[in-house]
Amino acid sequence: MGEVKWEREQMLVDKILEKAPYAEGKVRRERRIEFSIPADRIRDFLMLLKENDFELMLQITTVDWPNDGELELIYQMWSVTHRTHAMVRTRIPRDLDKARMPTVKDIYPVAETYERDAHDFFGVYFEGNEKMEMPWILDDTEQGLFPHRKDFDMLTYVKKKYKLLDRFDEDKDNYVI
Amino acid sequence: MVDWRLFEPLFNYARKKSLWIVAFCTGCGGIEMPPLMTSRYDLERFGMMPDPSPRQYDLFLITGYVTPKTLKRIIITYEMAPDPKYVLAHGSCPLNGGIYWDAYNAIKHLDKYIPVDVVIAGCMPRPEAVMDGIQKIMEMIENGTADGWKRYKENYEWYKKNQDELFGEGWREREARRWIPWLMDKKKEE
Repeated sequence: MGEVKWEREQMLVDKILEKAPYAEGKVRRERRIEFSIPADRIRDFLMLLKENDFELMLQITTVDWPNDGELELIYQMWSVTHRTHAMVRTRIPRDLDKARMPTVKDIYPVAETYERDAHDFFGVYFEGNEKMEMPWILDDTEQGLFPHRKDFDMLTYVKKKYKLLDRFDEDKDNYVI
Repeated sequence: MVDWRLFEPLFNYARKKSLWIVAFCTGCGGIEMPPLMTSRYDLERFGMMPDPSPRQYDLFLITGYVTPKTLKRIIITYEMAPDPKYVLAHGSCPLNGGIYWDAYNAIKHLDKYIPVDVVIAGCMPRPEAVMDGIQKIMEMIENGTADGWKRYKENYEWYKKNQDELFGEGWREREARRWIPWLMDKKKEE
């Protein structure tokens, strides 16, 4: 079997990249395309995607890369017209005061929820989303603790918060499970 | 003057025959409720039914893991109910944390915060197991050993201490105040 070409997807990527020279794009496989863009152009790029019939935002996924000192935000977009899934990757610094992004709430209204999610679990602050500071899933969080970051010390936190000691007994005389 | 304690066995018999369940499903176990309530296992033949209001229920099913956020609502819902009230916990998560034993957002022992009468083991318990637990709680109601509501009153300081340790002092008022701006915003939009 020779190399498979997905012409329809390649045409879509070329069409979008023509208007967005700051982005890199490629075809992953049938009906999957991928872009990576600098973080400050996210609003321009998502507006461009919306003009190109990407009607739905499915999710904003966050990935933590502690070794690079970066957080990766992945905007998952779906086009009903082209029946194509687009991943838009962007990287921002991981430090709490620098992990800031412009909101895309006015372009895709569902982004409000996903931005709150990213703020709750990873500490990314989206400027312009006024519900950012509202309690959501974790409604009694301590300041500066973001549980899905990879350097979050889960066992220490659980021991402290739930006062559950017997399961973590070091010499395992008193193990429960 | 009638001594109503004389009629207590009769009342207990009546109570066990009409348990109303508050419609409050936490966690994964909620998915076992539809087969339990509908035609296959048909819980209504025992005189049980799901009840939307927390003011009239007798039986509180904790179906699965409990997060701190849910636990606040559970405690408030539990305290709203009139006596006597019974709690039936499903699965291992309310008992000892289950597979969430090291998770940051699931409480490990439910009976530190509200009294639990019967715990069904398993993950998840099938409707048969739930019915077994319900039969157990019916027996306990009839012979007067399902006394979680009494224990909650007698040891309220201990339960309240545990709740305050987890949520912080004055969490009920804080929780109410926290949602007021949101409610006000909703009113402005209308």
